[in-house]
Amino acid sequence: MAREPLLTVDDLHVRFGTERGLVYAVNGISFDIAPGETLGIVGESGCGKSVTSLALLGILARNGRVTKGTAMFGGRDLLSLTDQQLRSVRGREIAMIFQDPMTSLNPVLTIGRQIREALQTHFAMDKDQAEKRASELLDQVGIPSAKMRLKDYPHQFSGGMRQRAMIAMALAGEPKLLIADEPTTALDVTIQAQILELLKSLVAERDTALIMITHDLGVVAGMCERVNVMYAGMFVETGRAEGIFARPRHPYTLGLLQSVPRIDAGRRQKLTPIPGSPRNMLSEPAECPFAPRCRYEVEQSRQEVPPLEQLESGHHVRCFNPVPADEWQRSRLGGAA
Amino acid sequence: MSIAEIEAREAALEPGSGGLWRDAWARIRRDRGALIGFALVGFFVFVAIFAPLLAPEDPRFQDLSRLGGSCCPGPSLDHWFGIDALGRDELSRIIYGARYSLLIGVVSVAVGLSVGMVFGSIAGYIGGIVDSVIMRLTDIMLAIPGFLLAIGIVAMLGPGLVQIMVAVGVTQIPIFTRLMRGSILAQRDNDFVLAARSIGVPRRAILSSHILPNAISPVIVQATLALATAIIEVAGLGFLGLGPQDPSTPEWGTMLTDTTRYLQTAPHLAIIPGVAIVISVLGFNLIGDGLREALDPKMRGRG
Repeated sequence: MAREPLLTVDDLHVRFGTERGLVYAVNGISFDIAPGETLGIVGESGCGKSVTSLALLGILARNGRVTKGTAMFGGRDLLSLTDQQLRSVRGREIAMIFQDPMTSLNPVLTIGRQIREALQTHFAMDKDQAEKRASELLDQVGIPSAKMRLKDYPHQFSGGMRQRAMIAMALAGEPKLLIADEPTTALDVTIQAQILELLKSLVAERDTALIMITHDLGVVAGMCERVNVMYAGMFVETGRAEGIFARPRHPYTLGLLQSVPRIDAGRRQKLTPIPGSPRNMLSEPAECPFAPRCRYEVEQSRQEVPPLEQLESGHHVRCFNPVPADEWQRSRLGGAA
Repeated sequence: MSIAEIEAREAALEPGSGGLWRDAWARIRRDRGALIGFALVGFFVFVAIFAPLLAPEDPRFQDLSRLGGSCCPGPSLDHWFGIDALGRDELSRIIYGARYSLLIGVVSVAVGLSVGMVFGSIAGYIGGIVDSVIMRLTDIMLAIPGFLLAIGIVAMLGPGLVQIMVAVGVTQIPIFTRLMRGSILAQRDNDFVLAARSIGVPRRAILSSHILPNAISPVIVQATLALATAIIEVAGLGFLGLGPQDPSTPEWGTMLTDTTRYLQTAPHLAIIPGVAIVISVLGFNLIGDGLREALDPKMRGRG
C-alpha cells in the first residue's frame, strides 16, 4: 500500500458469554485499510463478519467482549476507548450501513428527522441548516424530489429507497471509513446493482475507505481491491481480489466459488456444495476449523491451527495443504468439457 | 425514468400515508366500538366541563321540604333523577359528580403513569442490578391486592379526595413499571437502535427519541383502561367511607354509600350513580380496546 493505512486491526478476538458457554466469535483477525480503498470481508452466516465491525465501533451486544487485540485508527486504539470517546468516532469517523433497511430505520420518525439527528449529533447545526443538508444528502443518494421526501416515514419508502436513506444517514457525519454490512442482501437484484454503483461512486468522490462485508462473492469481485475470506472467526485466505478469484488456494474459498452457479458453466456441470455444517463456535479452535468439511485435510490439520502463510506476493492462506494454484481453472474447464 | 423515480411515484400513490398516530386515527375511525367509547367519554367530559350550565341547581342546595315526608321522591318532571335523602336534586349531583370522577381518574392515572414510566424505562434500558432491584420492588407491590393497598395508603394518609387519588395512583405504579419495562426491552435490541448507536447518537437521545415512541403504545392503551379501573376504585373507596369527608361533595362512590339505607324505598338513588359509573368506565374501556388494535404494529400499513 502506497498510502498510510487508515485503520489497522491486529489480532482481534471477540467472545460472547451465553447460557451454553462462551462463543468464540472472532479468533484473531488482522487487517488494514487505506483511505479510498475498498476491502472485502467474505464468509458465511455466523462466521464473525458483522461481529468484527460491531466490535470496532464498540456496539456489541451486552454479552459480547473484545478479549484481545488492537484497532489503531488515527493514532488511537478504538478497542481501548471509553464509550464516551467512541461516540465521537461513531458516525463521524466510522459509519455503518446495515443489512436490513426494513428494520434499521425507526418506523415512528420521519426520514428527515433521522438524517437530521445524524447531522446534529456531530455538527453544530440548527434545524434549518440540518434540514437543508439532509435534503442535499438524500439528493446525492439518488432519491428524487428529496426535499419533499424528508417528511415521509420509512414505511412510505421502498426497500431500495430505504437503503439509500440509510446510506445518506451514514454519510451525514462525513466519515473517513464506511462499513457496509451486507448492504444489498435484503434487496432484489436490480436494486442491488444500483446500490452498489451508488456506494462505489460515493466512496470514490469522497475518498472514503469502504469495508464491504458480504457473503456474496459477486459483490466482492465487482467492488473490492483486496479480499479477506473469513471462516469460524478467522481469515483463511487474504489477498488481491483478482488473485483470489483466479487462483483460490484455500479449500474453503474454492468450495465457495464452486458452490456459486455460473452462467458460463456447461449444462451438465453440477454445483458442488460444501459438505457438513459450519463449525460449532462454543470452543476455542485448536485445529484447522475447516478440517471436518475439507477434501484437502491432512494429518496436521487435526492437530493445530494452521498459520496464515504467504504463498504469493500479498496472497496469504491459512492451510497446511493449499489447493494447487490451477485447481479452480481446471475444475471450471473440466466441468464445461 | 429510473427505477428510483418509479418507486417514488408508487410510494406517493400509497394510501394511508402518515405517521403512526395518523394511521392509528384512520383505523380507529372505522372501529365502531371505539367510536361509541369516544362518544361516551366525550359526553362525560362535556358534562364535566359544562356542569354549571347543565345542572338545574347547585348540587349542595338542600330543601328538605321537597321530600314531602317520605324518602325519597322518584323522578319527576321537575327533578328528572329525583331528590336524595337530604332534599338535593340528584341530577345536579350526578352532573357535578362527573367532574370529580374525571379529575380523580386522570390525576391518579397520571401519578401511576409518570412514576411507572420513569422506573420502567430505567429498569428496561439500563438493565442489570438496577433492573432487578426495581422489578423486585414492583413484585412486592403487586403481591398486595391493589384495592387493599389503596385502602392501606388511605388509612395511612387519612381519608380525603387528594389522598384517594394518591392511593389509587400508587397502586397503578407497578403495573405501568412492568409494562414499560417489557416494552422497552422489546425495542432495545432493535436494528434501528443499533443503527442510531452506530452513528453516535447519545444513549439518552436513543431512549427518548427512538425507544420510547416505539414502546409507548401499549402504555397508552393501559392508561385508558387504567382510567376505568381508577374510577371504579375511587368509587369503591368512596363507598367504604374513605372518600371526600365533606358529605356534600357529589362524588359518585360516596353518593352510593349515602343511599344504602334507602335501598328498599328509593333504589333509584343507588342505581343512577351506579349507571353513571358503568357508562364512564365502559367508555374508557371501549377506547382502550380500540386503541390497542389501532396501535398494533402488526396492523401497520394495512386497512
